[in-house]
Amino acid sequence: MSAGELLLEAIDVVLEYHDGTRQVRAVDGVSLSLARGSFVGLVGPSGSGKSSLLFALAGLRPPTKGTVRMLGKPLPARPDASAPLRRTEVGFLFQEPFLVPYLTVRENALSHTVGPEAIERVESLAEEIGMASMLDERPHRLSGGERQRASLLRALANDPALILADEPTASLDQATGQAVMAVLRRQAKDAGLLVVTHDPAMLAGADRVLYLRDGRLGEGDA
Amino acid sequence: MAANGPHTGLARRALSPWTYLRRNPRRIAPLFAIQALVTCLLVLIITPTNAFEATAEANIRPLQVFTIVSPRLRREFDEELLAALDKNPHMASRVRAKMLWVRTPMIVGEGYAPLIALPQEVRGAFLKRVGLTLTAGRLPEPGKDGAALHEAVVQARGMQLGDTFGQLVDRTDATPGRFTLVGILRGESRLGLADLEYASQPYFVLARQDPFQVIYALPGQKAASDAYLHAAAHEDGTEALRVVDDAFVRSRIEAGLRNLPLVIGFITFSVAIVVALVIALLNVIAFQVRVDEFGLFLAIGHSRQRLVVKLAIEAFLVALLAWGVGLGLGLLGVWAYKVTWLEPRGILMHVVDARPLLFSISVPLLSTVTGAFALARRLHRMDPVAVIQRRGV
Repeated sequence: MSAGELLLEAIDVVLEYHDGTRQVRAVDGVSLSLARGSFVGLVGPSGSGKSSLLFALAGLRPPTKGTVRMLGKPLPARPDASAPLRRTEVGFLFQEPFLVPYLTVRENALSHTVGPEAIERVESLAEEIGMASMLDERPHRLSGGERQRASLLRALANDPALILADEPTASLDQATGQAVMAVLRRQAKDAGLLVVTHDPAMLAGADRVLYLRDGRLGEGDA
Repeated sequence: MAANGPHTGLARRALSPWTYLRRNPRRIAPLFAIQALVTCLLVLIITPTNAFEATAEANIRPLQVFTIVSPRLRREFDEELLAALDKNPHMASRVRAKMLWVRTPMIVGEGYAPLIALPQEVRGAFLKRVGLTLTAGRLPEPGKDGAALHEAVVQARGMQLGDTFGQLVDRTDATPGRFTLVGILRGESRLGLADLEYASQPYFVLARQDPFQVIYALPGQKAASDAYLHAAAHEDGTEALRVVDDAFVRSRIEAGLRNLPLVIGFITFSVAIVVALVIALLNVIAFQVRVDEFGLFLAIGHSRQRLVVKLAIEAFLVALLAWGVGLGLGLLGVWAYKVTWLEPRGILMHVVDARPLLFSISVPLLSTVTGAFALARRLHRMDPVAVIQRRGV
């Protein structure tokens, strides 16, 4: 692996879906790229297609047109076919923590890992984000911020090449949100980081900020 | 690096079906309870059906020691028939007898224990051969209506020494004539003993009580002796003897119970199908609570096949545990039923029986298949993005 290596590339991606009888074009001809070590922010108003684009880039929504390439290879059309790649190379962070309620924080993190080396990584990451003492707690005993940090632990547990975050700080207070973003930025030194948010304050330090409106992309400096 | 056993185990534990089952007892409780209850009920219903066989087995056990024959076409054993019997090279001895039956109540219907009328001089040796001992009262006197019955038969009929029975006492009774209970016998063979002189009175002839001969074979030659008796024929080739041996009575019992496994199988299978459908429905309802969990697992790259296997194993473990517990409770119930109700009535029953085990296993198997199928279908149609976006709204 090398800094600047192209991790993710979207070429003229269009994503349409049916909403009842209406056909909606959520993403309209988007092209973008994300290199290792870079931090890209994606902002835009509600309904502009940010999350849809993120899911298309992750291989969870096959584009209607265009191509998405991850680690140099085009993503398969079927989401299930790209599952192994997501498992090993992608770290996901959602607006809600999505923790499995009957698993401990440690087990939640390990549910996204392959190989025994993840154990030490989870412990060292937990130390870094202040979750070490909560590794054996179940989610219902955690505060909102702690839960989001637990989901951050899971997203980073598999040492992903690519971190995709969808409104990761939306349900957090400013200070906790900044703390989560700080960890993400640190991780982005070795990975590519794409953060979808409606809060530009969370994109401090981003290499690029992309603006999405009505599914179309515009760009500005961070 | 931490590439060691406990750590690998930790990672594996996250998706282990056991982890889910151990930590969600309330969620699996309805699934567990229904399957355990149905298994328990099946054991309680099916096991007592062996009571007829078990009791009949005890009633015919003496036929492992001797064989009884009567003339097939003649009213008496004439010289020709007796000569034919005496030519049996495998016979040790024979004794004149009459064979009557004493009715005993069963769980459903009635069973019949043999009451053999023998000459006084041979009764001691006879009791010794069949392993019976007199525990109360005395043996019948010559020419008198006394009868010594097995303790289980006495218990089943609620009799006491001095009580009378037979068709002259109760016209619905199965035993012809009138007998007085004078002795109680104990042993593995459920056999009663009466006096041949008394049982040969005109009444018994009118009651069509055939004359019998009790045939004792030489040691180790019972099968050959029985074969000889079956083959004995008159000059015109017709069968000479009606042979009541172990194989004959056993075949009659089996013929009487021939359709029982079919009926039990049909009932069990019908119950298992209904239970399986209910379990499938409950599994789907329980799955609704876990939609976020599986939506997440799919989103972060777990394969649908692996998750289906996880769900199938969870369903199977619940079904298997419920089956085990249901079986245990059922056996406990059957044992209590036997001790408190059947044994006091002289009815035998095997507590451990293969049939309830085999029939009831269809409950966990069908429940697992239908439950896993219903969950696989739900999982197959699940869109992880829809799950994540709905939650995020």
